[in-house]
Amino acid sequence: MKKLSIFAILILSLLPVFSIRLFSQEVTKISPYIQLQYFKNTDDQRILQTSLTYSKNRMELPLSGMEISFYSGGDQKRLITTGVTDNKGVVRLELKSDIELKSDKDGMWGFSSEYKGNDTIDAGKSEITIKDVRLEMALTVIDTIKTITVKAFTKVNGTEKPVSGEAVKIYVPRMFSLLPISELTLDESGTAITEFPSDLPGNKDGNLTIIAKFEENPTFGNVEKRETLKWGLTTDYSVPSTHRALWTKTAPRWMIYTLSVLLAGVWGHYLFAIISLIRIRIEAKRKAREEYKI
Amino acid sequence: MKEIVKNESESDRSSRRNFLKKVGIGVGAVSIAGIAGSSVLAASKAKSGEKIKLLSPDGTLVEVDKDDIKPASEIVADLKEEARAGLPNRKFSMVIDLARCKNARKCVEACQEGHLLPKDHEWMKLYLLQDDIHTAKYWFPRPCFHCDKPMCVSVCPVGATYKRPDGIVLIDNQRCIGCKFCMTGCPFSARVFNWKDPEVKVPEGHVYDPETNIPATEGTVGKCIFCADKLRKNELPRCVTACPMGVIYFGDILEDTVTNGNETERFSKLMVDRAGYRYREELGTLPSVYYLPPTQRMFPVESGLEDTDESIKGRYKNVGPR
Amino acid sequence: MNQLRVGIKMSVHDNKFIWNQKKTMDADNKLLKDLTPELEKTSLTWYITFSIFFAVFAVGVYGLIQQIDKGHIVTGMRDNVVWGFYIVNFIFFMGLSYSGALISGVLHLFHTGWRKPVIRIAELITVISLIIGPFFIFFCIGRLDRLYFLFIHARIQSPITWDVIAIITDLVGCFTYLYLSFIEDFAILRDYADLNVPPWKKKLYKALSLGFTGTPKEKKILKNARIIMAAMIIAIAIIVYSVLAWIFGVTLQPGWHSTIFGPYFVIAAVFSGTGLLIILMWIFRKIYHLEEYITKRHFVNVGVLLTVIAAFYGYFTFSDYLTKWYGSIKMDSILIDKLFTDYYSLFIFANYIGILLPCIIIAFPRFRTIPNITIAAIIAISALWVNRYIIVIPTLETPFLPIQDTRPAWITYSPTWVEWSLTLAGVAVFAMLFMLVSKIAPIISISEMQEKDENEIMK
Repeated sequence: MKKLSIFAILILSLLPVFSIRLFSQEVTKISPYIQLQYFKNTDDQRILQTSLTYSKNRMELPLSGMEISFYSGGDQKRLITTGVTDNKGVVRLELKSDIELKSDKDGMWGFSSEYKGNDTIDAGKSEITIKDVRLEMALTVIDTIKTITVKAFTKVNGTEKPVSGEAVKIYVPRMFSLLPISELTLDESGTAITEFPSDLPGNKDGNLTIIAKFEENPTFGNVEKRETLKWGLTTDYSVPSTHRALWTKTAPRWMIYTLSVLLAGVWGHYLFAIISLIRIRIEAKRKAREEYKI
Repeated sequence: MKEIVKNESESDRSSRRNFLKKVGIGVGAVSIAGIAGSSVLAASKAKSGEKIKLLSPDGTLVEVDKDDIKPASEIVADLKEEARAGLPNRKFSMVIDLARCKNARKCVEACQEGHLLPKDHEWMKLYLLQDDIHTAKYWFPRPCFHCDKPMCVSVCPVGATYKRPDGIVLIDNQRCIGCKFCMTGCPFSARVFNWKDPEVKVPEGHVYDPETNIPATEGTVGKCIFCADKLRKNELPRCVTACPMGVIYFGDILEDTVTNGNETERFSKLMVDRAGYRYREELGTLPSVYYLPPTQRMFPVESGLEDTDESIKGRYKNVGPR
Repeated sequence: MNQLRVGIKMSVHDNKFIWNQKKTMDADNKLLKDLTPELEKTSLTWYITFSIFFAVFAVGVYGLIQQIDKGHIVTGMRDNVVWGFYIVNFIFFMGLSYSGALISGVLHLFHTGWRKPVIRIAELITVISLIIGPFFIFFCIGRLDRLYFLFIHARIQSPITWDVIAIITDLVGCFTYLYLSFIEDFAILRDYADLNVPPWKKKLYKALSLGFTGTPKEKKILKNARIIMAAMIIAIAIIVYSVLAWIFGVTLQPGWHSTIFGPYFVIAAVFSGTGLLIILMWIFRKIYHLEEYITKRHFVNVGVLLTVIAAFYGYFTFSDYLTKWYGSIKMDSILIDKLFTDYYSLFIFANYIGILLPCIIIAFPRFRTIPNITIAAIIAISALWVNRYIIVIPTLETPFLPIQDTRPAWITYSPTWVEWSLTLAGVAVFAMLFMLVSKIAPIISISEMQEKDENEIMK
């Protein structure tokens, strides 16, 4: 009995060793980077975006097809919904009802997104707290100078108060990215005014879009206001299809004429030679017929 | 910063294009309209009655009469026509900041990966140049310059390479006869030739499109195409996004904007502030690639040789004034 | 009295103008006796020589098959030197065709007497090298299965399209001109009763002579046609070779972007054509025993022509390199450095020895012997091939952006056995075609030589 119990104790004490070896053989899990962002666009549509990526060889690669859970509320979390990341590792959720947008004591909204993890990837979590802000942008021409006036207000206990000291950035969206125009700081009255450059190209009608936004603001998230108007220079760039050059489909006229004249001249002479041959044949046949008759 | 709201019609167009290319048997746009109900094509042909199941762009499974499907050759012809037309009202240019380049070669690798190139084909090539013993050495990334007066296009006898209105010079590898006149015409050695079968694996059902130029074909010419397929999706070329130093800026200069993925600048301002120039301006080919001089480097030129493969380091043994 | 004598002579010759079907051998027709044996029988030596050339050709074909199978990687061409031996041979063979244009065309128009024994050879060189030249282009093209694109998708802004049009025009023109010169000869051979050739050859002569009977009217038509074609040939020759030169001249490459290339190439082509003419004159004179017809006088005359052209050729070369060297932009000076270091011996051979030696040999009466003149011609023609090589390849090895590569094949051009075998095959085909033609048509134009006789009698 004693031997049996000693044996059992020995084996039991060795178990951790086995399990340690099991652990050491295990592949180290990928540690993902999860980022939750809040967006409010110009139509007051509110969107939560979570991106799930990981780092490999100093490059950031997306994790797609992973399930992300969105929660609202800071301490008492309430599941809003779940979503699956796309091929860029991003999943978006539009916040619609008031249930999702329940503010806490400071008038702040809490959101979080979680990734539960799987066999190869660790779990991750990201939390943000957002305060709702109303951003206004007025585009006016004052003394022939294009002026942008930006105002921001938050609701505190039911009343609107201006936001001051925060940075608002002005952009013009371009084909691949946003072109920064200027960065403004809101004054005490929550206002900032700046000039818009008059030499910026727009589209072919001169239209361009101007965006004023809070960018990754710790309190407000990403809030933007955009407007399209004719504040740009017209750019109508089109190469007419009838353009003739060395590198176009149709050749310059002088080339075609020169070539035609040369070819016509030379092959015309060849034709003369061929006709001569035919004439020789005809002449010889005529001669042969004459001789035969004689 | 990323844009959330995408232009709906643009994404539709690009997804349809991708759909066209992925489905090897080829479904024409007319056929898809036929599914939706206008059925002009369907009415004009007697149906064979044979139906084929296809996945439409919005992810629904549809049944299409076999007569409504266009043959792959027509699809390729459509793609080629689109490739010749280009993107309307755009003029693409690149700006390369020589002060930042340190021969990381990520641009070369991303380009080779994206276009399924064999390893000895480099559409983006890195030179180490020194014009005079007293002037600075600098790393010189050289894509195709997509010249506004392209010598390569002028000398092509069959029109296999062409300049399109948005500035990009493309190659139609199904028309190229491999005479290599364009290679002797280009003063910048931008073109490579497929001397043997490149032996690359092409994805299933892939349809030839000059905007991706996959696969490389034996006996034809290849070169940088400013990733025309990505531009259709409003995405930057592969070398631009791959560069860890943000060396390459790209943009539509009609909008006067270039970006390297992180920084966006006004093209005109960048040129004036940093004294941009074009390589060998005097040759008169009017390149679309501008260079910013290698002033005020943050790291020495030699650091570009540190992490490089031995086989590549050997290229730069005899660098110096010629 | 004299007028009466002339009148009698005229009437005697009137009868001779109209040939009957059965004409017997005449003492006057020593020409026929001397020239027809080659048409009648083929010696064993001929067969052996032909087989050797055919073997060389076969090796070339094998090389071509390798190239088509494995791709152009079997050649020495790589991404910088994309044009190698094939283009050099193409320009070279196209250049040889200018002997016909000059000797035949110009001398025909100027009614030079001594040209007669050699014009047939000159015209044959023209046509045969025009047939071979384009094949070298085909070897250089990556996708032979798409060759017809050059016609259905042609862009007229491209110098290659100009070249395609020009070569086709030249081929048709030279063929026509050659045929025009054959008609009378075929008529004579058809009528020569003692001709001991197989029936198929007799039928061939009959068909190709178009029933020509030598009436004044027929002769006049033929003569006018030949004059027109001779003038055309000269014009075409200049245009074709200039177009070929402009394939290089219009590019921006250092060394090629030269304004003198058009005339330079034309002169160089005539130089090579004349050299080849001398060589072939010597060969045929030896093997067909034509010492009586192709005399030292001919060698000297063509040799003098060679010297004059060599002088022009040297002048153009010197002019080109002087202007490149004196006020040299950087790329030009890099190229000239390369020529005088890596390509030094080739450069000296092509541009100094190749020009001066033939001039010296022919200029001094002491050295002017038939073997010497032939050697001068051989030097001239080889020097010209090397000159073509050092025009094409060194430029491609010094591009604007330096070649930074570790693989030697990508840095310097070195031709492989495939390219050598195809070059030699080209020469072999040239020889074979000449040998075949010499069995069907006399290598000296009988009708031209007879015309000389009649002109002399008329005096």
